[in-house]
Amino acid sequence: MNGVVEAAGVSKWYGEVLGLNAFTASFGQGITGLVGPNGAGKSTLFKLLIGQLRSDQGNITLLGENPWNNVPLKRRLGYCPEQNQLYGWLTGQQFVEVLLRLDGMPAAKARVEATAALKVVGLSNAAHRPTRGYSRGMRQRAKLAQALAHHPEILILDEPLSGADPAGRVHILRTISDFARDGGHVLMSTHVLYEIERITNNIVLIHNGKAIAAGNIHAIRALIDEHPHAVRIDTAKPRQLAQALARMDHVVSFEFPASDTLVVRTRQPDAFYRELPQIVSDTKLEVHGLESPDDSLDAVFRYLVG
Amino acid sequence: MDWTESFRKAWVVTDLTSRYLLATRRVIATALLAAVPLILTLSLAAARVAIFDISLFQILMIPLFLQVVLIFVTLVNATALIREEIDDNTLPFLLTRPISKPALVTYKYVGYLIAVLVLLVPPLILAYGVTEAYRGLGFTTDLDVLWGFLATTVLGSAAYGALFLFISVLIRRPLAGGLLIGFVWESVVGSIPGDVPKLSVIHYLRTILSHVVAIGPLNGYAPDLSAGVAAGILIAFSIAMVILSAFVFQQMEFRQKAG
Repeated sequence: MNGVVEAAGVSKWYGEVLGLNAFTASFGQGITGLVGPNGAGKSTLFKLLIGQLRSDQGNITLLGENPWNNVPLKRRLGYCPEQNQLYGWLTGQQFVEVLLRLDGMPAAKARVEATAALKVVGLSNAAHRPTRGYSRGMRQRAKLAQALAHHPEILILDEPLSGADPAGRVHILRTISDFARDGGHVLMSTHVLYEIERITNNIVLIHNGKAIAAGNIHAIRALIDEHPHAVRIDTAKPRQLAQALARMDHVVSFEFPASDTLVVRTRQPDAFYRELPQIVSDTKLEVHGLESPDDSLDAVFRYLVG
Repeated sequence: MDWTESFRKAWVVTDLTSRYLLATRRVIATALLAAVPLILTLSLAAARVAIFDISLFQILMIPLFLQVVLIFVTLVNATALIREEIDDNTLPFLLTRPISKPALVTYKYVGYLIAVLVLLVPPLILAYGVTEAYRGLGFTTDLDVLWGFLATTVLGSAAYGALFLFISVLIRRPLAGGLLIGFVWESVVGSIPGDVPKLSVIHYLRTILSHVVAIGPLNGYAPDLSAGVAAGILIAFSIAMVILSAFVFQQMEFRQKAG
């Protein structure tokens, strides 16, 4: 057992609900993507890794150590939770600074490191604004800044792209790639395979609390591509945006579930995510957020597990 | 152990907690309630009530301040310390830093104590000052009364806060449990014969206060303990409750939104 993360037969119950079901996997160095639909067990696995939960069965280690109530191990990890709540009365700068000082950093050094981390995630301009006024994408970046500001060995990121706008996604993915390039390990969950494929081929598929596939994922990707992939876009002008997107020949359908929401189904998510920023820029339509409802992925997982 | 680093962490959590309690919207309600003694004395002075003096101050403050204001302010703030961070999903930010859970609970409790005393002490001192000024007396004339109330405020805040903190790590809806203990048990326990009243915080607060206040609700109250022993019991109780809270918190798992 010498992986960054080693899990052997790990199970976790929430009463009668099974969060993880004899989960066995070994995650190596670099970036590992944990992909699965909502409720698959991704967050449960992460909470076990950061010591917020204790496994009911099996063994799990992070960087070779048992994470439960392991205080020294926390110096070596950076965690970005899925939830977007921050301490709203603190500014972004204060938020990162306070958490750095909990690492034992002197105030002056914490200030410098917090400023640098906020710059890395592209939040310098909003650093002195209270975080309660941040958009979802800005909150994601503030969470990422606090996770990497103390220079951890591993970043554990729970759905770090959820709700981020296109520019924010690019920034977040670039930050993660740079961290890994500099020798850090990253464990990142998503229910959107196409997002994570842009930065790694090293993927673990998780479904119903079990790891159902791991490693290079191209074969499974081919299966997934057969299913139209849904993307929900928050925009003030969904119909105008749909008109602009209709020129993509891989787009299958549009839905307008609310006056400010557009749901697009595409057979080529890669191409869609690649071309979208240019179209948004050309048409000058504002996009406030992107989400990928996981129903299409869920269908694929049901297909994969028979 | 690096004491400088430990002190730094203690200061950060304490400061974060007291600012959290004093900077969020809850402070409007708690500050208004904490100001009731001052508002009341100002009203009595403005209405030029003839019998308004230090005796009336004591008669009013025992039921109003000790049994309502103190309990409510400590309940609202102490139950927010841990439970609100769990509900708000901000706890993972603290729990993924190199600080032990028992230390986190202890430092948060200190932060609570600072915040609650900031809320409770100034209005109490000002209310006393208004009372003495209304009678044309100097601030130090009845200083023993002020010291008695200040001592019960500090010790009551510590004891109730520790008790409500313990409740908040034990149950998901600590406000309901706290209300039951704070406003039902603490109110009726004094009427129960035998040694049962000793199983309440208010018994020891009354004991301390009865050594300087012998009128109103404490008229004829015969304490079976010295003020020092009662204070010692409250301090020991507070420490025990914080240790128990830290122990329970150490074993707690935080599911939040399971994925």
